[in-house]
This record gives sequence, structure tokens and C-alpha cells, in this order.
Amino acid sequence: VTKKAASKRAVIRLRLYVAGNAPNSVHAIANARALCGEHPASGYALEIVDLMLHPLRAVSDGIVVTPTLVKLSPRPVLRIIGTLSDTDAVLAALGSK
Amino acid sequence: MSTVRELTRRLAEAEATIRALVSGQVDAVVDAHSKTPVLLSKAQEALRLSEERYRNIVETASEGIWLIDASAKTSFVNGQLARMLGYTVDEMIGVQMTDVVCEADRPKAALALLRERAGAAICEDTTLLCKDGSELWVRVSATPIFDADGNYSGGLAMITDRTQFRIAEDALRRSEARYRQIVETTSDGIIASDEAARIVFVNRRFAEMLGYEAPEMVGSELRTFMHGTGAEESSARTRASRAEAKRSRDGMCLHRSGTQVAVEITECPVMDAKGQHVTVVRDVTESRKLQAQLMASDRMASMGTMAAGVAHEINNPLAALMGNLDCIAESLADLTSGDEHEHSAEQRKAWVLEELKSPLDDARSAAERVRFIVRDLKMLTRSPSEDSASKVDIEALMESSLRMASNEIRHRARLVKNYGRVPLVRANEARLGQVFMNLIVNAAQAMEEGNAQDNELSVRTTDNGTSVVIEVRDTGSGIAPENIHRVFDAFYTTKAVGIGTGLGLAICHRIVTDMAGELTVESTMGVGTSFRVSIPIAADDAPAVGATVPPPPASLRGQVLVVDDEDMVLRAMKRILSREHDVVVASSAKLALALCAQGESFDVILCDLMMPAMTGMELHHELTCIAPDQAKRMIFLTGGAFTDRAREFLLDANREHIEKPFDAANLRAVVQDRLRSMTGGTGPVHVV
Repeated sequence: VTKKAASKRAVIRLRLYVAGNAPNSVHAIANARALCGEHPASGYALEIVDLMLHPLRAVSDGIVVTPTLVKLSPRPVLRIIGTLSDTDAVLAALGSK
Repeated sequence: MSTVRELTRRLAEAEATIRALVSGQVDAVVDAHSKTPVLLSKAQEALRLSEERYRNIVETASEGIWLIDASAKTSFVNGQLARMLGYTVDEMIGVQMTDVVCEADRPKAALALLRERAGAAICEDTTLLCKDGSELWVRVSATPIFDADGNYSGGLAMITDRTQFRIAEDALRRSEARYRQIVETTSDGIIASDEAARIVFVNRRFAEMLGYEAPEMVGSELRTFMHGTGAEESSARTRASRAEAKRSRDGMCLHRSGTQVAVEITECPVMDAKGQHVTVVRDVTESRKLQAQLMASDRMASMGTMAAGVAHEINNPLAALMGNLDCIAESLADLTSGDEHEHSAEQRKAWVLEELKSPLDDARSAAERVRFIVRDLKMLTRSPSEDSASKVDIEALMESSLRMASNEIRHRARLVKNYGRVPLVRANEARLGQVFMNLIVNAAQAMEEGNAQDNELSVRTTDNGTSVVIEVRDTGSGIAPENIHRVFDAFYTTKAVGIGTGLGLAICHRIVTDMAGELTVESTMGVGTSFRVSIPIAADDAPAVGATVPPPPASLRGQVLVVDDEDMVLRAMKRILSREHDVVVASSAKLALALCAQGESFDVILCDLMMPAMTGMELHHELTCIAPDQAKRMIFLTGGAFTDRAREFLLDANREHIEKPFDAANLRAVVQDRLRSMTGGTGPVHVV
């Protein structure tokens, strides 16, 4: 129960690394936003980082390719690579049903 | 444990990264070295587009495209190549390249592959095997492919279907071979020359004709092989219009040895190539020889035709001559016989002399007739080596021809002569006589025998200022218009087999043309035919001048030696000359020489030219050595049968000679002339 409560309370922090307006990045942003909007109860917090503008952040965060979605918390940290088109798979990976 | 989890996670991430990369969901990759993201999308797009473009090219190409790997196995073919060979694309993948090449070409293909491995670009025609076993002629253009390390990794080949080319090429090759064979086996020389008249091709025959090898002649100017005027004409002809082409002309080519080859030349321009010419050269040496032989044989034929007529001609005056001589002999017998006592010897003598006068005149004129006939015969029998031009009296020549042919004319037509005052022309007398003879006999034979009063054979000579025109006209049946252009063709005759050779007019035409003259014909059916010979007047041909007769000078008496092997002639000459001179006779040159060697001296030596044992020429030579003064006094007698040497001898230093038969007056005149020319010189000459 505590876990659930905790999870209910905890905000899922997501960060999406993109490369400007590249087609896959645009898709990924759209998909990520749809995901967060459809599940407001989950309490997602989405941060988008454009590596074309902030290249150094890729290095500090260990990003190899774009688009990459990183679940920062709750732990464990998780990375999902691609346009996030397969919503079910993404949700499954994020651990929310 | 957490390490294991961490590893598993990373592995999953790596796999996800790869999946995303593979599925094209990655935009950029962060370059580990520069630590900056590198955009993938543009490269991907460009790659996709260019790949699409290449695929398009490869699949829409009309050539077959074939990729092989390093072991010569097919790694790619386009649809076109598969279609050409009757396979599907998939069936061909992995197939060994050489297995698709027809067996005969496999060694060649293997070699080509080796060369390609070494880096050479290949372009070869070969035959491929289709799936159904049929063969396909193709051209293969192949280039090797090397990897980044420079190792051979296969080859790319473009395959073009050459079936149509090959069929066309084969047809072309066959046709070229056919024409080449024609050009190389023909008996004519064939030359192709460019616009600068330089030789680009000669066939073997032309090279042979002039003693060269064909390749030696290529590149030279055509006129270097032509002689004299032919060369100029040839280059002039090069510039001539096409309308003028295709006319044959006679010319001379130069053999390598420097000798000339008589040829007939036909030139025609190559229609679609400016200034290029094809020249056909025919060696006419043989045919010229043949022509000369034909001309000689025609002369023999005319002689045959004339022989009967001539015998007839001679027999008539001969009969008159013998008859008259018999009469004279009888009259002389009367004079000496003592049977008739009623007349005195003086009366008888006067009577007989009166009786002798007219038979003697008749015998003289009969003998004169025989002399003319023999002279005319000589005209026909002269050999071609006498074919030099001289000044010819047309009227005299026509008269003698008419006499020769009189037997042909007499029974067929009246003879009408109309001679204008014409200058002497420069021509070959014997040849021109042959022409006249032919025309006269032809004209006579065009008229039926028996109606001599109704038919007319007319000859007419006129001078039109530039030429002398001789016309021979008959009132025969005429020549049909469709045949008239053939009358000068060799072997064309309307006469019965065995009567004409069909060569007469052809030869006449040739003879007249050789004299730069013209022979033309006009004919109206039922009215008659007229042949016209026109011979140009040379600039120096003065009008005919009658022989001037010098006034008879006073007679001189001299010592005369007569040398002749013919006893009759010797006696006749002694009789003629004894009235005026002291005459010594010698029946051979040897005797004459002996006389001179003994110191006998003569004012005039009349000597026969042709004698057995020692000729007049030899006597002259001997005398020149032992008595040069006597040699200078020789006058030669000729019977007309000349050797070339004798002719030269007489022409040399213009030696004086008398032709047999001679008449008494003429003989005396010659001797007198000689004696007169020596008065004032040495020697015992007495005025009578």
C-alpha cells in the first residue's frame, strides 16, 4: 500500500533528448506529450532537451542517439530510444499500466 | 547482483538503440570523439534518394547490368539482363559468370577476367548462353571494383545486345568481301583517289600492270604514274564536272621500268564524296596489237578482192601490147621480104614505117597502163613501217584508187569525177589509199550489177578552207536509219558471209581519225549513201603546183657504166643511152668494181640497188674506199622492193635514184642532168 501511495504521490520525471526539428525528434516530442496528457493522474513531468542547442548535456547525461527518452525517477533510470510510436511498449517500459 | 542488472539493462538499451537505428527512428548520433550530436536524417534521406535514383537507372537501362564478386559469382543483375537471357533475377544470383558464356568463348572470358582483376577495363564481343540454350551476341564493357584496401572485390559489366549489329556487320562484311573479290579479280586496274588526286587505293591488277606492289602506290599522286598529256588531262579531269565523267580516253601509264603502257582510262567521281574519284585503267597493249593485225589482215583481204581485178586489168593492156608487137614484127618482116615486086624498096619502106607508127604508139600506151597498175599495187603492199606521213596529192591518189577498183565499178555504175583545186595534205599515202579503195568498193557494191547506166558513183574533192573534203557517193539502196550508227562498228557487215570482213569501215574510221580527220556518213533509203572524209590542211601545206618543165638544154656526151643483174634491163638501157653516150655494161657489181679497180673512169654510173652477191650499196661502199670520185657518180635504180636498209641508204644524203620502170626520155634526162651538174668539174665530158 505504501508503495502504491508513494508511487501515487511520486511524480514521474521524464526527460526527452531531441535533435532540433529532425523528423524523428518531432515525432518523439508529439508522442511524449500525448503520453503525458493522456495519463495526467500519473503525474508526469516532461522536460525536453534539444541537443542541437545544448550539445554538452548529451555528454553529461551519457546520451548516444536522439531521440532518447530518459525516466529519471522513480528509480531505476530507464532509457527508451526511438519515436515512441508504440505507446503500449513505452508505457510498459515506464512501469505504469 | 546490481551489476548483473545494470549489464542487462545496458544490453537492452544497446539492443533498443540498434533496433531504433535499423528502423530509422534515430535522428542524430552523438559522436563520441567530438562529443557533439551528428544529424542522421539528411544523410539518410540523401542515401535513400540516391539509392532510388540508381535503382531506377539500373532497372530502366536498356543494357544488362551485371555485378560479380571476387570469385566471379553473380551478385547482382538487373531485370534487363535477366530478360535478355531468359532467367529471372533470382535465378541468376550466385551463378558463376563463365557458366553463362558460350563454350567457345569461355577461354577468352577467363582471360578477360584475369585482365580485369589486374585492373583493366574490358570491352569485348562475346556470345552468352540463354536459359533455353540459344546464343546471344553481346558486347561486354566491364570495370573492376576494388575495396577500400585496394583488394579486388568483383566487377561491374554492362551488356549490350549485338544481335542486330552482328547481322548487319556480317552482311556488310560479306558484301565488302564480294566487292573486294570483284575489284581484285577484274582484269582492269582500279584506283581510288582523293580530292588532291592522291591514291587511296589500288587493286592488285593496277599494281601488276605497272610493276609495283599495291601498298607502294598508295599515297602517291595518281599522275606520277601517268605519262605526258595523260597526266595533265587527269588532273584537269579531277576538276571537271560530273557531267563529263565516265568518258573513256586513251592514255599512257608509266611502268616502274620506265616503259609506257598503252591504256584506256575511265574516270568517274564518287557521288557522295567531294573530289574523290574512281579511275578504271584498262591495259590495251594486246588489243592495240590485235587491231594492228586486223588492219594488216584487212589490207590482205582488200588485196585478195583486188587480185582478180588486177589480173584482168593487166591482161587487157598486155594483150594489146603483145598484139601490137606481133603486128610490128610482121610489118618489119614485110619490109625485108622480096615477094612484092610491084613496089620499090623505097616505097615499101615508107609504107611500112607509116604502118608501124600506130601499133608502136598503142604498144607504148599499153605498157604505160601496166606500169600504172603495178605502181598502184605497190601502194597496197607497203608495210606499216612505211607509215610515215608525207604530202599527198589527193586527186592522184583518188585516180589510182579508182583505177584499181575500175573492175568493180564498170558493170555497176557510171563514174562521175568532180575534182576541185585542193592543196596537198599531210597524210600517209598508203593508208589513205586504203580508205579511198574501201569507200569506192563499198559504194560500187551498194549498187546492183547490170544497170550501169542507171547508177552513178561520184567522187568529189573540195577545199573548205580548213580541210580537204573527199566525198564518195553512190545511188544504191541506202542504209536504214537504225543501222547507220553501226556502219563504223567492227565486224558489222550487211554483205554475204565471205565477201566482207566487216572491218573495212571500222579500219577506215580508225585511219582517218589517226590523221586527225573525220569520216562521216549520210544515207537516204532508196536514194543512196555518201561517205565524206575530211582531212585538215596543215599550215605549211601549200596549194598543189604543177611540175615545171625546164627548157631542153644542149646534150652532153659522157662515159656511162650501167650495172644490173637483169640482162633485159641492161640491154634496154644500153640501147636507150648509146645514142648520146659511150655506154659500158656490167652484169654484176663485182664486174663493175673490177672495171673501176683497173682504172676505168666513168662520168655516170647507173647501178641497180638490189642485186644478188653484191648489192649496189656494197658497190658504193667499196668504191668509196678505192675510188671515191667514182662513188659520187652513182645513180641508183630501184624496182620498188625495198628493204629497210635500202630505204635508209637512199634517204641518207638524199641519194639520187630512178624508179623502174622508167621511160627512155626520163632516163636520158637524168643522165644529162648529172653530166650538166659536173661540167666545170673533172672528167671528159663532151658537148655533142
